[in-house]
Amino acid sequence: MNIAPSTAFRDKCAIVGIGNSRLGKVPGVSSLDLLVEAMVNALDDAGLKTSDIDGLICRGPDDAYGHHQLIGARLGINANISTTMDNGGASQILSIAMAVMAIEAGLATTVLCGYGRDAWSRTHATEEARVRNETRPASQRPREFGPEYGYFGAVAAHAFGAQRHMHLYGTTRDHFAEIAVAFREHALRNPQAQMKKPLTKAEYHEARLIVSPFGLFDCSLRSDAAGAVIVTSRDRAKDMKQPPVPIKGFGSFNNLRGWFMDDNMVVTAAKKSGETAYKMAGLGPQDVDTAQLYDCFTYMVLTQLEDYGFCKKGEGGDFVASGALKLGGRLPTNTSGGQLSESHAEGMLQIVEGARQMRHGYGADRQVKDAEIALISGHGGNQVCHSTLILGRA
Amino acid sequence: MSDRTTAADRPQKPTPRPSPESTPYWDAAAQHKLRVQKCNACGQHWFPPSQRCPHCTAADFTWAEVSGRGKVFSFVVFHRVYHPAFEGEVPYVVALVELAEGPRLLTNIVGISSDEVRCDMAVKVLFADVAAGVAVPKFTPA
Repeated sequence: MNIAPSTAFRDKCAIVGIGNSRLGKVPGVSSLDLLVEAMVNALDDAGLKTSDIDGLICRGPDDAYGHHQLIGARLGINANISTTMDNGGASQILSIAMAVMAIEAGLATTVLCGYGRDAWSRTHATEEARVRNETRPASQRPREFGPEYGYFGAVAAHAFGAQRHMHLYGTTRDHFAEIAVAFREHALRNPQAQMKKPLTKAEYHEARLIVSPFGLFDCSLRSDAAGAVIVTSRDRAKDMKQPPVPIKGFGSFNNLRGWFMDDNMVVTAAKKSGETAYKMAGLGPQDVDTAQLYDCFTYMVLTQLEDYGFCKKGEGGDFVASGALKLGGRLPTNTSGGQLSESHAEGMLQIVEGARQMRHGYGADRQVKDAEIALISGHGGNQVCHSTLILGRA
Repeated sequence: MSDRTTAADRPQKPTPRPSPESTPYWDAAAQHKLRVQKCNACGQHWFPPSQRCPHCTAADFTWAEVSGRGKVFSFVVFHRVYHPAFEGEVPYVVALVELAEGPRLLTNIVGISSDEVRCDMAVKVLFADVAAGVAVPKFTPA
């Protein structure tokens, strides 16, 4: 269906508070407490109190029922609008889109959005948990059409797409290596990043295979991590502590027929989600100065670069090999290290980094010079849900 | 120690745990037949099982035997052991096979080295008896 995203939402709201928790290995702290830590940091950043918040839209592990209620109770917040998202890694941008819509509809004035997880602690709690490397509760795992064939986990699901892309377009693991190495270089400039050691292409190729075509460094991190942002109208934002980061557009698309259906594993829902966001913002890929893409696996960055129109379908390999993704390159991407090297909080930290880049608060070693527009993506929910956020310079 | 381990001690591979919707599929597989649902309204096949046709929402269907022939849409090779029962199996191939009739099935490719499997390779079904009265369809080069 052709839709006509409303340009009336363009630049109406802004991100006015940004926060993250401690990242990486944070044993003994629940996902809820990590998220509260990130949210309190976002409130402090904005110069707001919990009593200023009247909307709460958030998400955590799949087994935290009524997640927003648990968070509201811990922060002592009553809200005009609150809910828990259920679109996997696409949820976090969608929560910001919902915040904008709620504010514009007059349902709330100041909305707190966030995501927290304890995935490192959860997958290292016991030897069995380490072997299974599974964050979903047992009740939500498949009982047939998978486990009997030894098919487990998100690595394999995404590796199917990588293999098909390699077959169709001649993409190689060396292309994937370019992505892993670029993001690691960014992480080394980020003192909060989980990964601290340099990574070379040779080390990428020498590392053990997990589910080929993916090896160790194609896979994102298991992290204890949370991030949060505060959204309000630009009118309210004028008097706040930080320069407001304008929300220029957002979009969403969901290939609900399934990752294994049609060509969804090589032309992802990012394509239509991005088209919607570009229309709302009145912008195109040529206007984007930095991208913060959902990098659960290296291949997902490559296909999204194509789906968002930064290069043609099938040319992602050449694009990444050109050095475009590195700070100083044509499209500095995942400038904090991303989920491959900073920490994995289901896309929430991409939003945090995109907003920080738009504030131009970093030193020259981390700041994307003269950046005016940031594009941020979220992907997840059995690989079919996608959302896009476009931010402008504060 | 391992020579004293009895079969009962060894971790067992998961066997399918059918739902009411998928029971006819597994009953057919136990007889080494590959059956999927075929819509009596629009004529299209579908998988995985559900009570209405995902192409046209009709509830009128037949469990139709299919050719068992298809091609590898994509595949992956497991090197990491996620379940102890697969420790002796790595590297093994999990593939998404597109049947000639349209539906795509997750399965294993057997009878060929993992480094010889290719996308779009022609394959045909065979059945692996994995427990008493339980067989799972796998595929091998046609």
